[in-house]
Amino acid sequence: MSSYARSPVSATRPLGDAGDFNSDIRLSVEQVSYAYSANPAQAPLFTLEATSFQARPGEIVAILGPNACGKSTLLKLIAGALDPLSGRVLLNGFVTHALPHRTRGQRIAMVQQESPLLFPSRAWEFVLQGRHAYGRTLRFETEEDILIARNALAQVGAEHLSDRWMDQISGGEKQRVILARALAQQPLLLLLDEPTLHLDIGAQVDLLETLRRLASANRYTVVVVTHELNLAGQYADQVALFQKGKCLRVGTPAKVFQRELLEQVFQTSLTVELGSSGRPRVNMPSAK
Amino acid sequence: MPARKDARRNIAGVRAVAALLLCGAACWCPTLRAQTPAASPAAPPVYKDFVDEVGRTVRIPQPVQRIISLSPSLTETIYALGLQDRLVGDTDYCDYPPEAQKKPKVGGAINPSLEQIVALRPDLVLVTKLNRLETVNALAVLGIPSYATDPHTVQEIVSSTERLADVLGVPEAGATLGADLERHLAVLRQRLTGSVPRRVLFIVWPDPLISVGKNTFIADALRLAGASSIVDSSQDWPQMSLEEVVRLQPDFLVFAESHDSGQNDFDVLAERPGWRGLDAVRNRRFAVISEAVNRPAPRIVSAIEDLARQLHPEAFSAHPDDDKEKKNPSPAQPQLSFRSMDSSSGDPALLETCSCAH
Amino acid sequence: MRPLTLSRLLAHCAILAAILFVVVVIALKLGAVPVSLYGLGRDLLRVLFRQTSQLSSEYQLIIFDIRLPRILLGIFVGASLSVAGASFQALLRNPLADPYVLGVSSGAAVGAIIALIVEPHLALAPAVAALLTPIGAFIGAALTVTAVYFLGLRQGQIDSSTLLLAGIISASFLSAIIMFFMSTLTGGNYRGMAFWMMGDLSTPPQRIVSLVLRFGFFLAAGTIYTTAADLNLLLAGEKEAMHLGVDVRRVRLVVYIAASLLTGLAVSVSGAIGYVGLLVPHVMRLLFGSDHRILLPTAAFGGAIVLVVADTLARTVVSPSELPVGAMTAIAGAPLFLYLMRRRLA
Repeated sequence: MSSYARSPVSATRPLGDAGDFNSDIRLSVEQVSYAYSANPAQAPLFTLEATSFQARPGEIVAILGPNACGKSTLLKLIAGALDPLSGRVLLNGFVTHALPHRTRGQRIAMVQQESPLLFPSRAWEFVLQGRHAYGRTLRFETEEDILIARNALAQVGAEHLSDRWMDQISGGEKQRVILARALAQQPLLLLLDEPTLHLDIGAQVDLLETLRRLASANRYTVVVVTHELNLAGQYADQVALFQKGKCLRVGTPAKVFQRELLEQVFQTSLTVELGSSGRPRVNMPSAK
Repeated sequence: MPARKDARRNIAGVRAVAALLLCGAACWCPTLRAQTPAASPAAPPVYKDFVDEVGRTVRIPQPVQRIISLSPSLTETIYALGLQDRLVGDTDYCDYPPEAQKKPKVGGAINPSLEQIVALRPDLVLVTKLNRLETVNALAVLGIPSYATDPHTVQEIVSSTERLADVLGVPEAGATLGADLERHLAVLRQRLTGSVPRRVLFIVWPDPLISVGKNTFIADALRLAGASSIVDSSQDWPQMSLEEVVRLQPDFLVFAESHDSGQNDFDVLAERPGWRGLDAVRNRRFAVISEAVNRPAPRIVSAIEDLARQLHPEAFSAHPDDDKEKKNPSPAQPQLSFRSMDSSSGDPALLETCSCAH
Repeated sequence: MRPLTLSRLLAHCAILAAILFVVVVIALKLGAVPVSLYGLGRDLLRVLFRQTSQLSSEYQLIIFDIRLPRILLGIFVGASLSVAGASFQALLRNPLADPYVLGVSSGAAVGAIIALIVEPHLALAPAVAALLTPIGAFIGAALTVTAVYFLGLRQGQIDSSTLLLAGIISASFLSAIIMFFMSTLTGGNYRGMAFWMMGDLSTPPQRIVSLVLRFGFFLAAGTIYTTAADLNLLLAGEKEAMHLGVDVRRVRLVVYIAASLLTGLAVSVSGAIGYVGLLVPHVMRLLFGSDHRILLPTAAFGGAIVLVVADTLARTVVSPSELPVGAMTAIAGAPLFLYLMRRRLA
């Protein structure tokens, strides 16, 4: 794909590093921390403490933790939407926050809870929005754009939804179209914020299977924020476990899913068993 | 790929330039302006400068043959000066004298049709403070002079009429009319010497209660009629609270007659809650005069006289002409002030110029 | 899958331009002085070639100094208001937004009334005095826009809901000031202000004012058009738009300033004509879709057509009186708005 060969000319070079980065690592989160306060006069309310991890092309990283532990904030930092208080996020050696908007739109795709649509649009229109970052001002979509959009819909198995109105399809179908839009951006990095929230178990599995397939076929780096332990355990190559803004452990699911650690984080008794594939499964205790 | 990008850039550039050219053309093209019309073959008009009553210096062609009036009071004045043949257009609201209703109309005072005005080819347009600044400015830009009157007292109404007569080229008619009005006022003043002014409330609108301010010509008219308005406000149309009025307890309520008879106005008002608190309401002490009091035109003098009669009947009872006057509080036929109270001061020449049918 | 193409855009605009042309011709025909089409065409050519001696002077005056400028004013004011309305609906993510929701018209009215107060005290030539009201109105509008911008900031960025709130409050406050002025000031005729505020195209603008209006329209509308694709994405959601590559902060600022400029110019010249900025974008969305790359140009044409029609009706229906054009747009606009609401497209 030609997009991988394009390098953004105006992005910042990494500090103290003349462009010689480890080509195997695509995403590098280096000691990133964040604090924000609703009121500038008050002390910062929420903190994300210094966090580091790395990810390669084709990997799925799960950011795991209970609610309000800083997962979404970390995702926004990775996306370059927020400026970290300390540390930096590098995508192929470039600081994400410093990327110009257009370039960011070509490299990083975000799938999150959607704002309600103001005026109805069709699915193909929606997916074509993903091509926006590739267009010049005042231009109309090209044949190439249409092809990429159609391809994206096909990759998520939603081609039949192409002409449907967005407000008339089911939640799961909408999720697929939103993912297709992200794919149409032809990104290097695919970020998803709690994508399985409103999906039933079948749709959840379906989504994660699709993500794994896409990650390896298109060499995306996928970062998923979730609190679904078993989905993360089954599909993620790396898991970062968070509690109250602090990253407790990063590693393969087997390494991170330690019973005492999980019980401490989720405040409930759990059991962990290793499956035949080496992946852990977390179980609730039986009801008394 | 690079070749395609260049092509795209070129096309974008061409589009931008085309758009700019189009904009420029669209901006400039429609500013075609008709050239100033060629001078008519007849003798070129003579211009004279006048200063109107709002302080503008206006160049008016002499003589003024075609007049448009944008105010009912000025229409009346034109008829009073005998110049109605020169009046080529007036507003929808110019209803006095009745012949004025047959004149070509140019719309309302606030929203006249500029096209209609121009189509009537006026030499001069007469305006008052009732008209909008935009209208006056637009007329100026179109090359049509406008003369504004703005009297604040009855005396100013008289002098304004005389000055207007000068502008319109009939100073003698103006002087005569002015003198007659002055005479009426002098006689009235004399009759009312020694009378105590009645405290009145002039009601413009009952709900909300709106009266007239002390700087209006209506307040001055009340004064000349032997009344004093209890309202002491510098606004032109102050809104009064009923409580305040009850506290001040006017001797009389004064109405300007509208479409229904004045008797009706008072009765309707007396039924409204709170008005019973007024002595004047309980004792049915009210006066109804012609709506001429609302217009700064010569006719206002007869309304003043009428009001004086109603408020001070004792000042008129000793005069032989009294039985000729109507004591009816609602005059059905308001008359121009040419009808002399004193027959010896009648002026046949003046009666000729009076175009009223009464 | 049928995305918008340039040819489709141009085709739709051409149709609307043709309709506008027909409307303009009809409007030129109607009025106090009857005009024949043949005569009109012939006279237009004569004026172009400066052979005006054969025309009667009143006729010239009426057609070229009163009627034609009025029609052109209607075109540009209508186009400005519609484009501004569509832009504010996108910026504020609110289908009920119109160009005045951020207080521009109230600020302009205050400026105009101050100009009316001040004018008698300055001895100005009529041509200059006629400029005082539009200039005063524009200054009032500009100050209001600036104030609302700063009130609408949240953490240094324009926030749609804060902006909307700031605008509504400013509009109410300024309206109260206007009421106060109109009821307590003495000596002047402020009743004319009520007329102005309803919107009025009847006084021909000065040439410089027309030029500024037209130039401003192309400048501002053109600028907004460059962000048309961004606006499409903004409507999908601000967070989403940012991740899709839109510089949300810049786009919001640019659209805010440009749309306020459009509104300020329109209101300064003709008062606050209602319903055009609110309804025409919705009608065009109904006909052509929500893609701003086609919505903005068609809204411009649509607004021009609607206003010229409304103004022509306003000056011919009760001739020789004139209805305020704002009343005509309201009379037609309110039922249309209700109808659209019932179809759940507003």
